Formats: sequence, C-alpha cells, structure tokens
Amino acid sequence: MTLIAAIFFPLLSALLCWFKPLRSIVWGITVFCLTISFAMAVMTAGQVLRNGNAVAIPGWIEVDGLGSLVLLLVTFICTLAAIFAGGYMRHGSQSRERLWWFYSNSNLLVFALAVVPALASPNLAWVGVELVTLFATLLVAYESTAGALEAAWKMAILTIMGAPIALLGFLVLYWAYHSSGGGTAETWAALSAMSSTMSPNLLKFSFLLVFVGFGAKVGLAPMHTWLPDAHSQAPTPVCAVLSGIKTTVPLYVILRFLSIILASPEARIGNWMVVIGLFSVGIAAFLLLQVHDYKRMFAFSTVEHMGIILVAAGFATHEADYGAVAQMLNHSITKSLCFYTAGMVLMTLGTRQISEVRGLFRTSPFVGGALLLCSLAIAGAPPFPIFLSEFSILSAGLRSGHNVAVAILATLIVVAFVAIMRHVNGMLFGKPEATAPVERVPLSCRTAVLLAAVPVVVLGVYIPGPVHSLLELAAQQLGGH
Amino acid sequence: MAGSQTQLIEGLNALSAGLILLTAFGMVATRQVQGVMRFFIVQSLFLAASAFLIGFNRGSIHLLALGAITIAAKVIAIPWVLKRTLPGDLYERREINQVINIPSSLLLALLLAIAAEFLVSPLLATTADPVIHANLPIGLAGILIGGYSLIARREALPQLIGILAMENGAFFAGIAIAPDLPLIAELVIAIDVVLIAVVVGVLTRNITQTIGTSEAASMSELREEPRP
Amino acid sequence: MTRTVVYNLIQLLFVIGFGPLYAGVLSRFKENVQSKRGPSIFQPYRDLWKLFHKDEVVSSETTWIFRFTPYLVFVIPLFVASLIPVLTDYPLAFAFMGDMLAGGFFLALAGFFAALAAVDTGNPYGPMGASRTRMVGFLAEPVFMIVFFTVSFVAQSTIPYIVQKKWVASPAAFFSPAHILLLIAFFMLILAEGGRIPVDNPSGHFELAMIDESKGLEYSGRGAALMKWGGQMKFLVLTCIFLNVLLAPWGLADDLQPGHVLLAIPLILIKILLFTVVLVMIETSLAKLRLFRISEFLGAAFIISVAAMIASIFSTSAV
Repeated sequence: MTLIAAIFFPLLSALLCWFKPLRSIVWGITVFCLTISFAMAVMTAGQVLRNGNAVAIPGWIEVDGLGSLVLLLVTFICTLAAIFAGGYMRHGSQSRERLWWFYSNSNLLVFALAVVPALASPNLAWVGVELVTLFATLLVAYESTAGALEAAWKMAILTIMGAPIALLGFLVLYWAYHSSGGGTAETWAALSAMSSTMSPNLLKFSFLLVFVGFGAKVGLAPMHTWLPDAHSQAPTPVCAVLSGIKTTVPLYVILRFLSIILASPEARIGNWMVVIGLFSVGIAAFLLLQVHDYKRMFAFSTVEHMGIILVAAGFATHEADYGAVAQMLNHSITKSLCFYTAGMVLMTLGTRQISEVRGLFRTSPFVGGALLLCSLAIAGAPPFPIFLSEFSILSAGLRSGHNVAVAILATLIVVAFVAIMRHVNGMLFGKPEATAPVERVPLSCRTAVLLAAVPVVVLGVYIPGPVHSLLELAAQQLGGH
Repeated sequence: MAGSQTQLIEGLNALSAGLILLTAFGMVATRQVQGVMRFFIVQSLFLAASAFLIGFNRGSIHLLALGAITIAAKVIAIPWVLKRTLPGDLYERREINQVINIPSSLLLALLLAIAAEFLVSPLLATTADPVIHANLPIGLAGILIGGYSLIARREALPQLIGILAMENGAFFAGIAIAPDLPLIAELVIAIDVVLIAVVVGVLTRNITQTIGTSEAASMSELREEPRP
Repeated sequence: MTRTVVYNLIQLLFVIGFGPLYAGVLSRFKENVQSKRGPSIFQPYRDLWKLFHKDEVVSSETTWIFRFTPYLVFVIPLFVASLIPVLTDYPLAFAFMGDMLAGGFFLALAGFFAALAAVDTGNPYGPMGASRTRMVGFLAEPVFMIVFFTVSFVAQSTIPYIVQKKWVASPAAFFSPAHILLLIAFFMLILAEGGRIPVDNPSGHFELAMIDESKGLEYSGRGAALMKWGGQMKFLVLTCIFLNVLLAPWGLADDLQPGHVLLAIPLILIKILLFTVVLVMIETSLAKLRLFRISEFLGAAFIISVAAMIASIFSTSAV
C-alpha cells in the first residue's frame, strides 16, 4: 500500500496542478505531495528490510532492495528539488502563468522516475524509462531560449534514438525467457532464476541492444554529448533531478540486466563493462580540464560517476557491488546538492561562466561555503561519502585482481579532482568583480541546500544501520542472488 | 489444407518483410520531407499487414489487435497530429544540402542491412520458424537504417520520422519473436509511440518558431568555447 | 525434334510480328490516359511500310559500321528471343545456344554498335545521344549482372527456361523477399534500357534531350525501318523476359501439341496488355529525371538488386 502511495502521489499532484483554481498554489501542492511520497518510500524501505521485498500487485508492482533504494533516492531528491524550485522559479524571469505547467510536468517526471524501480516486468520498465525521457525533454525546453531548445533537441534525438534498440533488446530477452520454458509472468526475479538455462547467444545479444539503447540515456561515452548541454541549460531544480537521479534510473535497468547475465557463466560481459566505464570516466576527466561553464562542469562530473558505477558493476564481486550501490546513493545526494549550489551562484551573480566568477566567499559566505563543501564532496575528498564508496570500489577491484583497471581508475579520479578544484578555487578566492550585481538567495533555496547538505555531511562519517542493511540487500540483488 | 494455407501466409509475410526493407531504403533515398512521411505511412501499413497475417496464422487475438492499433496510431493518428501541430511550410521542404549524397547513403543502408543479417544469424540458429527468419533480420535492419537516416538528415521532421521508423523495425521483429506479450504491454508501447511523436512535434514547432528554420543541424551554439 | 524447331520459328515470327503492335498499343494507351485520341494501334506497321518504300540517303563520310548496324539491331533481338521462354514452358531447339548472360551480352552488343553508328556520322547530336546512352548502359550493367546472378543462384542454372521452372515450382520462392526486390530492380532496368520515362522521353523530338532515340536520327528509308523495328523488338523481348521468367510464368504451353502453342499466343498478349497498363500508369504519373539524377535512379536499382541477392543467400543458407 505504501508503495502504491509513494508512486501515485506525484501523479495526483500533477493532476491537481492542472486545475485552474489551484494554479496559484502549485508549489505548495507539489511540496506537500512529494513529501508524503518520500515518507511512503521510507516506509516501503522499512518493509523491504523486514521482509526482503514489498509487494503491492504481485507480478506487476513490487520492489526489492535495489528497487526500494532507487525509489528512496528518487523521492528524496525530487522533494528537495521541489523545495528549491519555489524560490528559484519566483526569482526567474518567466511569467507566473506558465508556472503550473512547469510543476505539472515536474510531477509527471517524478511519477515516471518512481514507477521504473517499482515495475516488476522489464518491458513496462522500458515504457517507464521512455516516459522519463519525454517529460525530461519537455522540462529542459521549458525556458524556450535558443540554447535550451538546442539542448532539448539534442537530448531528445540522442536518447529517444536508443528507445527502439532497447525495445528490441527486451523483446529478444522475452523470447529467450519463453523458449527456455519460462512461465507467463516475466519479472526480474523470474528472469534471474532462469538465467543459467537461457541461451547465452540470445542473452548477450539482448544485453548488447539494451546497453546501446539505454547507454545514451545514462550518458556513457561516446553517447554523452547531449548531457552537458541539457544539464546546463535546464532550470536548476530540473538539473538537480536530471543529474541526480535521471541518469541513474536507466543505469539501474542496465545493472539489473547485468546481474541476470552475469549469473549465466558463458556470457562474459564484466570486462567489457569495466572498459566502457573507464572510457567514460576518462573522457569526462579530460573534458573537465577545459570546461568554461560551472554547470557543465557538474554535468561532466555526472558522466564520470556513471562510468565509475559501471566499472564497479563490471568487477562483479560482492564488495564491488556494494561499492556500486553506495556510489549510486552518494552520487545522487551529492550531485543534487552541487546543482542547488550552482543555482544559487547563478541567482547571486547572474552568470554561468567560471571566468566571470571571482571571490565568491567575500560576495556571499553562505553560497561560497556551500560551493566549497559540495565540490570537495563531488570530487571525492574525505570526509565525504563519495570518498568512501570510491575507496571501497578501488579496494574491491584490487582484491578481485583487476589491478590495471584500478590503477587507471585511480589516476582518472585524481585528474577529475584536480580539474574541479582548480575551477572552484578560481571561483571562490580572489577579489570579486566590483560591478557584479548581488541578489539575495531566497529562503526556500537556502532551506533546500541545508537539507541536502545533511546526508552529504553525515554519510561521510557515519552510515546508519538501516541504510547499511539496505545497501547490503541491494548489493546482493545486484550480484544475482 | 492447413499446411498450404500456413505456407501461403508465411509467403505473404516474407513479402511484406521485403517491402518493409524497400520502404526503409526509400526513406534514405528521398529528398522531400513529405516523401519521408509517405514512406513511413506505407511502412506502417506493411507492418500492420504482417501483424494481421501472423495473428491469423496463430489464432492470436492480440496480434490482430496490435495490427489495428498500428494502423490507428501510425497510419492515421500520428500524421494527422503532426500536420496539425507543425507549421505548414515544413512539409514543402527538401534537403538540398546533404551530409552524404544519395547513392552513397543507399550503399551505406545496404551495408547496414547486410550487417543486420550477420548479427542475427547466431540467434536464428536456435529456431526453425520461418516467420522469425523473415522478421527478425529485417526488423533489426529497419532499426539500423532508420537510425542512419536519423543521423544523416538535417531537417527536423525527417529526424522524427526516423525515430518512428526505428520503432516500426523493433515492432516488426517483436511480433515474430514475442507474439504472446501481454496486450497491456503492447497497448502502452503504442501509446508511448504516439507520445514520442507529440513531444518531438512540439519541440519542432518551438524550434521553428524560435530559431526560424527547422534545420536541426543549424543549431550549434553550445560548445566548449569561452564566450566573448 | 522438328517440332521444337518449328515452334522456335513460330516464336521468332511472334516477336517480329508483334513488336510494332506492342509499341502501338503502348503509345495509343498513353495518349488515351492523357485524354487525347491517339494514333491507331497499327500505326507502327504503316510507318514501317512507308519507310521500306522510301529511298535511303547515306552520308559519304560514314564507314561500313553505319550501313551494317541496322541489320545487327534488327537481328540481335531475334537471337535473344530464341533463348527465352516466349510461348513455351520447356526448352526449344535453340534454347541451349546461350544462357541469360549471353542474352545480356547480345543486347549490349546491339547497343554498342548503335552508339558507334551514331558517332559515325559526324552529326553533333549523334555523339551526344550516344554518350548518354552509354552512360545509362554502363550504370545499368551492374544491375543486369546482379539480377542474373541472383536468379541463377536461386535456380541453380543460367538457362531461362530452367530458371522459370524454379519460380513456378514453389510459392515460397515466389513470395520470398528476394523475388519482390528482384522484380522491382529488373523493372527499373527495363525502364532504363527501353528508354521510357523516368529515364528518357520516347515521344520527345528535342534532339538535345534525346537519349535512346538519337541512335536512329541519321537513318532514312530501309535503315530507319530496321532500326525502329529492332528497337521495338528489343523492348518486347525485355518485357517477355520480365513476364515469363520473373513475374508471371503462367499461361505458357507445357507440351508439344501445336494447339497449345498457338493458344499461348493470345495468353501472352493478355499478359503484355496488363503490363502495358502498369507501364502507362507509371509513365504518365512521373516526370523525366534530370540527367544527373539517372545515376541515383540506377543506383537505387543496384542497391535493390544487391539486397535481393543478400536476401536470397541468407534464405537459402538458413533453409
């Protein structure tokens, strides 16, 4: 029951936003419904920890550990984004009349994001991922400037192009499932159970198709070119959702598929995943060196972290899987914090260029402090959570014998760290531009940033028991048990 | 009697497969925007025909329903919706400057079709069903050729139709390899396709209004260069 | 044995006799579709009669090629006609004289000499048309070859009679994707080789735009008659190949009785009539392509024929 509530409250809120008399309080409705959704997701996670899974409609809507982790992330990040959006959208130059459309669309996006981990059938999961892409594209194009439209168009074409390829992949998977005698209900769990009996050729082929199809959505190189544009041109709360969770959700689907295929001994995909993941991290690290726009900088960092998660999944040991899900969690919360901070910088100074931002500490200590915190966190410095998960991934890799890969990965992480800190240093210190206009950051934005900073600070030093158990459960599912 | 009827149906299905491949080539070969749209409509018709044939052969109601949905969605609804939402002069455009000229494009499309046949041959070794042998390679070829026509085009509307043609290819393979997919999945997928068309159509309209031309390739502002 | 020789001769007489009728029906029907009255369908016979009774004027600057070519152009379609199934289902006396490749080479030989003859006169329009004809010819050659190869590969033989048996034999082969693609490629080829729209306008008088008509420009009297007749017979032969070998190999006589063979004549005329309908529909709804677009047209035909070949290779290797 709580599961259904968690998924359908955003849909309800989207519908409410369409009502004309309620249009003036769309922000309130959105925040209220999404908070309830988050609470429901927490309760569902509790249910999963107790029973192993939470079932609403057997065979159609059910979550296990990995799914409830993703659901939790979705609701948490989207709730904070909604809180942030209040101040940001009011500050923006857009007219009040279109605001209801923005909130309605955002709620639909949240609904689509929440529905994907909850669906038990892979084909319906495809539909969910496509809906995510569609609503996200509409949101990126919200501001209707030439830059936003170009970004939305590139995103639309590159990501929707993968849709039919992934669809064929899922259909071939269905065929494999049925030709080796599966029952009528094709769910992730049933696929997992049958994975050793399915023909390895069919499995490999369908995984290849799904990987190519969804890889563009995740932002894996070389299909990442839309990502920096879209994640910088969209309105900031949308960017937070895009980078924080929207690229993680297709990766969740790919990882589920990977767990099915790794259980079949003849298909060796793990090493390829490591190679492709390293390629993404490498491209992102080097592109980070010469980026000029700080929102694009954070977007490239998303590409890097998606690559790291893929590498971890490719190592295919239990510790690496734990590292992968921990990285998913930590990256989502940290990245959304980064984008809120970037949004605050934009609101305060009105420019996106790194070269034009100087002396942020002196201009606004709150914003400067937040920027320092979040860039240290995303680059992987201790005592922040990403350091912990990256470290566990590296050590898991060494323990499973992938020494070369670990060496390359460590080097690239260091390169990215240096790149990010160099840019941020330039932004924080020095003399501020005398003629820069300074605006105050609205209260809702500050609240959102503070709320988002809490898990980032806490999880770096202390992982609460239930969180650790949930991560363990998710890692087990990733390993195919 | 049933044997020869099955043979006839399989033969007609293979015929529609060949014609779908032809329409895929046609989409690459034509210059006019409206030509691409017409080839897409014809391709959807052949897809529906194949769905009807396979459904009739196996006595499967939902393949017949899927054929009807395809006709309703892709032959009637999507062209109509696009004609309503997009500005009229979009349809009179022709691609004068091509990235790759038409004979070379056709050659590349042919190579993609051959590649599709090679890619699926290990899969086809697992089954002897002639319907799968006809549909799966041509479905994958339709996806690849649709994807190529998407990349090679500069106008926005042919790019959208390229996406829909790729969906046609995926469906065409799907009706052969997964004929008993629950109907709800197919319904939702069909709705999804219509949604895709609507969204990209809306984007195209906005782009045409803001930028003044529907040549998507002319948008190239966002790059890693310092602003002056 | 003698019967097959006799039937072969009947076949040749059929091609000689009905070539002009085919051209007449085609042009009359085209005019009718365009809401005009059109000439009588027997007009080409009257034209040939008139031309045979006129004097010939031959330029003194020409060589033996100019005088030799009309006879060659007239006789070669007859050679090809004796190789292909026109009236009968089974191979006749001269059927094993050559196979489809030989037929293709014969037709190319005729075209080659016609082009040479056009250059021979020194008239500026002749070489212009000849070079265009050769361009269309060399672009069409690969399509011819690939179509022949594919058909031979599937039928395991290069003799047209045996190929035709294979297509008739099984509906699976008839409906296969390779077959339909081959049909379309060969149809585009007929349009190109026969000088029909969209490649060339057969009823145009404008010498600067002529492609196929230019080979007969300089001839008069008997030479002109032979060139015209030869062109009409060539088109009839190509149509017969298309209909009897590839598309609709039904209605042919399958035993040695003379009654059946003579019955096959009206049947094949009906098939040709239906084909004419399709041809006229295409001719009146398309416009002539610009010269540089012809390469795209024939390029598309080539791609389609290669796709047919690939489809047939994969389907036979799978089965």
